[in-house]
Amino acid sequence: MRWLRRPGRAVAEVLTVVIAGVVAFPLYWMLLTALKPEGEVLAANPRPWTLAPTWENFHRVLTVSGFGRFFLNSVIVAVVVVALSLALSFLAAVALTRFRFRGRTVLLVMLLVAQMVPVEALTIPLFFVMRVVGQTVPVLGLNHLGSLVLVHLAFSLPFAIWMLRGFVAAVPVELEEAAALDGASRFRFTWQVLFPVVAPGLVATSVLSFMHAWNDFLFAKTFVTVEEVQTLPLAILVFFKPDQNDWGAIMAGSTLMTVPVLVFFVLVQRRLVSGLAGAVKG
Amino acid sequence: MTTRRGDALAAIRYLAPAALVLAGLLGYPIYQLVLISFYDYGQEQASGGAPLTFIGTENYRRLFSDGQFWAVLGQTTAFAAVCVVGTLLVGGALAVLATRVRAVPRSLLFLAALGAWATPAVAGSTIWLFLFDADLGLVNEVLSGLGIHGMSGYSWTYDRYMAFALVAAEVIWCSFPFVMVTLYAGIRAIPAEVLEAARLDGASTWRTVRSVILPLLRPLLAVATIQSIIWDFKLFTQIYVMTGGGGVAGQNLVLNVYAYQQAFAASDYGLGSAIGVVMTVLLLVVTLFYLRALRRGGEELA
Amino acid sequence: MRIGRGLAAATAAVIGAVVAVGCAPVQARPDADAGDSTTGTLRVWLFDEATRAPKEAVVREAAAEFEAAHSGVRVEVQYVQVDSRAERFKAAFNDPKSAPDVAEFGNTDLAGYVAAGGFADLGADLRSWADARDITPSVLDTAKVDGRTYGVPWFVGIRALYYRTDLFEELGLRPPRTTAELVTTARRIRELRPELYGISVGGKYTYAMLPFLWAAGGDLARRDGAAWVSTVDDERARAGMSRYAELLRDDVCPPAQCAQMTGSSSVQAFAAGKSAMTIGGDFNRRAVDAGVAAGRYAVVPLPGEQEGSIAPAFAGGNLLGVLRSTQHRTLAVRFTELLAGKKYQRKMFDAMGNLPTFTDLQRAVAEGQEFQRPFVTTLTAGTRFVPATPTWAKIDAQNVLPTAVQEIATGAKPAPEATRAAAERMNAAFRS
Repeated sequence: MRWLRRPGRAVAEVLTVVIAGVVAFPLYWMLLTALKPEGEVLAANPRPWTLAPTWENFHRVLTVSGFGRFFLNSVIVAVVVVALSLALSFLAAVALTRFRFRGRTVLLVMLLVAQMVPVEALTIPLFFVMRVVGQTVPVLGLNHLGSLVLVHLAFSLPFAIWMLRGFVAAVPVELEEAAALDGASRFRFTWQVLFPVVAPGLVATSVLSFMHAWNDFLFAKTFVTVEEVQTLPLAILVFFKPDQNDWGAIMAGSTLMTVPVLVFFVLVQRRLVSGLAGAVKG
Repeated sequence: MTTRRGDALAAIRYLAPAALVLAGLLGYPIYQLVLISFYDYGQEQASGGAPLTFIGTENYRRLFSDGQFWAVLGQTTAFAAVCVVGTLLVGGALAVLATRVRAVPRSLLFLAALGAWATPAVAGSTIWLFLFDADLGLVNEVLSGLGIHGMSGYSWTYDRYMAFALVAAEVIWCSFPFVMVTLYAGIRAIPAEVLEAARLDGASTWRTVRSVILPLLRPLLAVATIQSIIWDFKLFTQIYVMTGGGGVAGQNLVLNVYAYQQAFAASDYGLGSAIGVVMTVLLLVVTLFYLRALRRGGEELA
Repeated sequence: MRIGRGLAAATAAVIGAVVAVGCAPVQARPDADAGDSTTGTLRVWLFDEATRAPKEAVVREAAAEFEAAHSGVRVEVQYVQVDSRAERFKAAFNDPKSAPDVAEFGNTDLAGYVAAGGFADLGADLRSWADARDITPSVLDTAKVDGRTYGVPWFVGIRALYYRTDLFEELGLRPPRTTAELVTTARRIRELRPELYGISVGGKYTYAMLPFLWAAGGDLARRDGAAWVSTVDDERARAGMSRYAELLRDDVCPPAQCAQMTGSSSVQAFAAGKSAMTIGGDFNRRAVDAGVAAGRYAVVPLPGEQEGSIAPAFAGGNLLGVLRSTQHRTLAVRFTELLAGKKYQRKMFDAMGNLPTFTDLQRAVAEGQEFQRPFVTTLTAGTRFVPATPTWAKIDAQNVLPTAVQEIATGAKPAPEATRAAAERMNAAFRS
């Protein structure tokens, strides 16, 4: 990027650091508030540090309100969605990049359109579909985590297939030919050769499926009214009270909710960037 | 591309699981959405206690003659527009900035952006709500500390435009990283020789951006724009959490929250579905533009 | 291949659903017949309160007594937020498996819930229950739809004016005697004590607004043959709403804070010493006594337009009902009778200040209870109710009246326009 290199770079770098600080600040404030003792949270003049950090908010959140249970529910939904969506989208991506068959282009266009469907608009029919499904298979019905798994699986598939397509296509065809010469069946090739090679891409793809399921508020709110089955996003709202919001607990809950995604993100960031760029470029 | 016999059969086997899930949980619900919107579908019907009546386009007639629907549609569009433009401007500017600095500040910026990106919508909403809380928020404290009159106890969610602005700021905060990351990757992919040539021609930075970088990034920008439009138009969580379900007198309602209220609070599922259909159609029109942009960008689908 | 099998099951279920419903929109199968198991878990939904502990204690006692009397039965109580009740009950009616067996609900929601087929007809059960004869007839009427009884009145909710005696004395004020005086008094307080709300009421506190509307001679709707027609846009109703909206101004209760306040947050503000007056129910006493206002307040009936008159109060109150989908019908009825019976109504009165629904018990608790007098006076002065139609629940869920009040208070729309819009939305709901 020599074309841009000028004496102004120092200014640009200072600016970059300042902006990074501003962008990160809300997260800092969340963590700080979560660690502040109650008196400091409610103080009229908030200070940007605390001299008496405490786990009291986390403790209250985890013990009093059964946050552990909600956390576990969220983890179950997200993990199952990720596992299933990877398996299904990997197979689909292989078919779409490696096999030649009629109607492939049509399928690809449909996949693209499917990504654009405002899934939130489908809350109403899905609510009734899940109710009917639940009458036959209770674990997949309303007020069961299965209903959330199903909808998020469906919603994360189009993009996951689209993104994995890029990773699968990047695997040299020679690899497949070599395997074929060795007499490996197509199935064996797919799982024993292709799968490990594409694994990093799978991880990157999984972040987005994970986030989708983990962040969901609308479907959790609509499909689940039983307390034991609730997921994190709704659980946080319990601390909003008519008289005085329990901000310490809200921030502790938000922290618990953000950290897993953040860790996941940082771990796979490089793959994610290349995967997204590939997916976006189509 | 290998061509073996039996490809079609294998493809069907490989595609079947995903196709089934998508057909059952995306295709079928869309069909149901349209269907329900033509029925008088209230709680009595939903519980199976009353027969279903086909009422044709009655739900749509009711919807289109309701002044509130048009008001909500208008403000949803305006709000989404502000969010999209804000996201693109911030994301684009920071992507360019990132190409001008060395690795350490850039990594810091990316790390911060990754943090904002990773923050779940509910958590992001609560954090911003707390920062802007009337009594306990840091922002009011700092502003009144700076001597700005009337900021102590100022309620950011009371005035319609202020409330929208606050939500928009949160939305931009958590969605600019996607734009920044993709555009940054896009700029990086531009061959150095192209830029070098521009420099040798004596083009200024701004001119280089305008006549070399932007045209090359156009397909990428189109995709980022469309994605942002789709995300921001169907926003639910942030509005629901930050304005307490649509603000004072419903002044901050957006389509998705409005549809939710009609369906699940007022149990008018037919009307709620009609709103969903309108929303889907609007976004599919946008998608058509997206497909066209892809094609014009010279991208091959297959 | 566990995942594979799960997937197959899911696929089968989805295909099954598609086949089952064919081309018509998905609709639930008609409810399976309610069961009548005599063991198992009895699920109970009660409303969450600003101060829940005393209520919880009484309920726990009742549950323990019930469990002791019925072996093999566990009573599981869940507390539901009043604000989200519409969605919660809707979900319960849609998914009977998640539904409770017994639930507390507001009498204003009754008609809607019954139309949705949610609650069981308890008429026959009540006829064979000795306590039932002593329920105040006008109160029992609030549990009826088309002559059938769908619940047992658990307590009567009457609201009156709470005010801070210490502040009034210090500022040389007297309790207001007309609605106009109420406004000027509230204004005066905020003028002298700008850190306080003159009165804490909220844009979402419809039951505080209704007495103003009725006192001005207005009404919510009138019956026109079989149909209902909204009358909130007539001059008197509008005047009443506007009078109430005058309280939601910067010089009384600033709309930036108060426009979004509900009943419980209004009372909470008074309890926390942030306001000099509020409109609260007999059932709010416990919450107020738990705050800094304890021992420094008194209650008078909410005044009407004329000096000496009392603004008609909303005949509020909650019922306990049995859900139609219950699999433990007899147990559910027995538990309802226990918790809504005289013994536990008395305990609830002692714990929460909830006015009993039994005439003899009302008399008993009013004796020597100075606190109850303004509420009983208000009750006898005449109370009013919302239109008895299933569509009321919808109007309520759509926030029609709070929206109009908020619009008038914030100046977003002038009163005639706001009330006209509200009337249109009410009429649309009445017609549906």
